[in-house]
Amino acid sequence: MKADAALAALADPQRRRAVELLSRGPRRAGELAEALGLSAPAMSRHLKTLKASGLVEETHPEFDARVRVYALRREGLAALKAWVDATDALWAKQLRAFKVRMSE
Amino acid sequence: MTASVLISIRVKGAPERAFDVFTKEIGNWWRPDPLFMITPRGDGTLAFEGGPGGRLVANLPSGNAFEIGRITEWKPGVKLGFGWRHATFAPEQVTHVEVEFEPVGEETRVTVTHYGWTDIPREHAARHGFPDAVTQLRAAEWWRRSLDKLNALSQSA
Repeated sequence: MKADAALAALADPQRRRAVELLSRGPRRAGELAEALGLSAPAMSRHLKTLKASGLVEETHPEFDARVRVYALRREGLAALKAWVDATDALWAKQLRAFKVRMSE
Repeated sequence: MTASVLISIRVKGAPERAFDVFTKEIGNWWRPDPLFMITPRGDGTLAFEGGPGGRLVANLPSGNAFEIGRITEWKPGVKLGFGWRHATFAPEQVTHVEVEFEPVGEETRVTVTHYGWTDIPREHAARHGFPDAVTQLRAAEWWRRSLDKLNALSQSA
């Protein structure tokens, strides 16, 4: 399941907070670190995990290729949505079966 | 489309009976889903073992048992909580399921909430026997809020 890495990455509250901030728009690592009250190395580790999970990508603004900007990645979000949909379908099916059993 | 992982259904009978059937008879009513298999060899027969502090397992035809998750909350007729992981999950990934039983007249409303992660380390949950309600609630709120947001984002794609 592709959503596994995304869900594992989101198990950390600070990474969830970072994703939340990024959902409002792309940011630099320094901006994220400041908003979350994290040191640069700690922020860098979290961003590395988020990138590996497919949720976040690193981009460079056109005006300066040396500047690194982080943004949410649509494919990563799609994997999460797929997990939610599959989980939704699973429990809908199981609860229907449970209801039938309760009616017997 | 909805991205909710909260599902509710009404069943016949009192909450105590619903809780009993849900836990003791899960091996009878659970329907394995080929698209969502718990282990690569299928779901086998599910069973809650040991009540509070126990675990939910999938007993496979081979005789092996796969532990789906530890039971974190066991309040007969009221609430059930357990970890949920598939054999293919990353080791650090544990999702969490809560099942609530509420009386509605002579029937019972059963609500399943499946969280995509848990903030509670396993040792902590095992030591105290129940998850930190406040942390759990925050995770749940975040989950719902974020999914709405993520949905809006991906729909505007």
